[in-house]
Amino acid sequence: MKVSKALAALTVFVGTSAYANEPAPTGEALYGANCSSCHQADGGGVPMLQPELIEKPRANGPKGGVIDMILFGSASIAVSESDYGNEMPSFAQLTDLEIAMIATYVRTHFENNGGPVTSDDVKSRRPK
Amino acid sequence: MIRNIFAVALLCLGSAAFATPAPMGVDATAPVDKELGLRLPDGFKATVFADDIGSIRHIIVAENGWLYGALMRPKGGMGAVALRDHDGDGIAEERIFFAKGLRGTGIGIYDGYLYYGTDVSILRWKLPISGEPKTEPELIAYGFAEKRQHAAKSFTFDGKGGLYVNVGAPSNACMTRMRTKGSPGMDPCPILEEFGGIWKFDARKPNQQQNIDGIRYATGIRNAMAIDWNPHADSLYIIPHGRDQLGELFPELFSPAESAELPAEEFHRVAEGADMGWPYSYYDHRKGERMVMPEYGGDGETVSDKGQKPLIAFPGHWAPNDLLFLRTKVLPESYRNGAFIGFHGSWNRAPLPQQGYRVAFVPMDAEGNVTGDWITFADGFAGLDVIISPRDAKHRPMGLAEDKDGALYVSSLMSGGRVWKIIYEGK
Repeated sequence: MKVSKALAALTVFVGTSAYANEPAPTGEALYGANCSSCHQADGGGVPMLQPELIEKPRANGPKGGVIDMILFGSASIAVSESDYGNEMPSFAQLTDLEIAMIATYVRTHFENNGGPVTSDDVKSRRPK
Repeated sequence: MIRNIFAVALLCLGSAAFATPAPMGVDATAPVDKELGLRLPDGFKATVFADDIGSIRHIIVAENGWLYGALMRPKGGMGAVALRDHDGDGIAEERIFFAKGLRGTGIGIYDGYLYYGTDVSILRWKLPISGEPKTEPELIAYGFAEKRQHAAKSFTFDGKGGLYVNVGAPSNACMTRMRTKGSPGMDPCPILEEFGGIWKFDARKPNQQQNIDGIRYATGIRNAMAIDWNPHADSLYIIPHGRDQLGELFPELFSPAESAELPAEEFHRVAEGADMGWPYSYYDHRKGERMVMPEYGGDGETVSDKGQKPLIAFPGHWAPNDLLFLRTKVLPESYRNGAFIGFHGSWNRAPLPQQGYRVAFVPMDAEGNVTGDWITFADGFAGLDVIISPRDAKHRPMGLAEDKDGALYVSSLMSGGRVWKIIYEGK
């Protein structure tokens, strides 16, 4: 218990200090580092391989849709039901804040109007 | 004097016959025919053989002139199309969709049968006298695990009863956690037991199971969509898809520019038992060496002893999707022993522009050796000079085929699906 609390505190500390001497990354920068090689900088995706994110129902729907895709990847979509050849990995290793910033970026760009999400929204969807 | 001129003329003729000049490829300053959607070397002419045929993948032409194509997504519930140009104008006026309920990539003809590769099996029909197959398909090989990544089954025949099936690895670089920064490569890579290689089957025997009846002919192959038997050198050749995302997964080791260019796309002659190195190594065409994959401790500088070197290499991520050796002697001699490679074009070179959307040609001799640098045989498919996002490309080459009269065919599944027919009119 004590150890895990200490670890959590350490994680928060490391998480903060990593950005201490540089401006906090933007949603766009995080999208660029983690998402754009597959979904492309313009959100256009790659035909048959990776979905486009433009005017995407998932990015205009309930807050959990994009968050869950980032947290858990596309594994829950059956092979036979997928139109895309590549499988999206889980990005659960990112912090709640980073995931929230990416989800917000996707939900407010690429002609999507789903609106922002918060770190708490992400936290609430992580497996307990 | 006359005798001297005659001798010089003879000398010229002699050297021309022995040293076949390498083909020139497309003239990069020539305009692209926008209507046609491609550009070819002098002496070649193309027609749009068929449009709006769906997600067409590999193609093959029967002796009787019918072209068959596998569809990756069914069209009207059908997984294949048969096309025929009856009046010889280079445009197929008859089209028949068949293969109900199937979807696939590989297609080929051997010994009177039309073979078809779904993601999990190889099937065949008795080749009809004309039109679509009239019988139920027969199962030849099965037991390929159902996967999403690199699941398409491309294949070729050795002409002696052997069927060679590409079983792509459902993985990028055998990371413990798929495509995740910091995740190490599994060592040894368990994926290679069942995937990541070429499996050999008996082309005539029904109901062969991969892990019982199939022989792992070659390994270390991420995904060889482009596979053909070289009939001149009597050997298997492939050009697999190299791994993705060096820069995204290892930003401290590879700059965006390096990640765009690496790893090379590798053209290999494949003997039985050969190892192409995946996932332990990749080929750096600038260094001319196989390098240790970063998932296995590589740093972009450490040379690997795993995997054979390619015959020739292309820039990274061009996505070779088909390979074709000619069986006829219609094209100029310089083309007859070489390899045509259909590059689908990249998605993985961003933030740099995407590249590759072309058909390349590698000059080779009758023994199967590469004799010169590759050239661009056909380009202009994408319809753009600079391609930032792959979806902006109008067309992307996919399958290649040759008919008995020496005409070439190229398929593209973009913009509703298209097949071009290319003929040689030069002297």
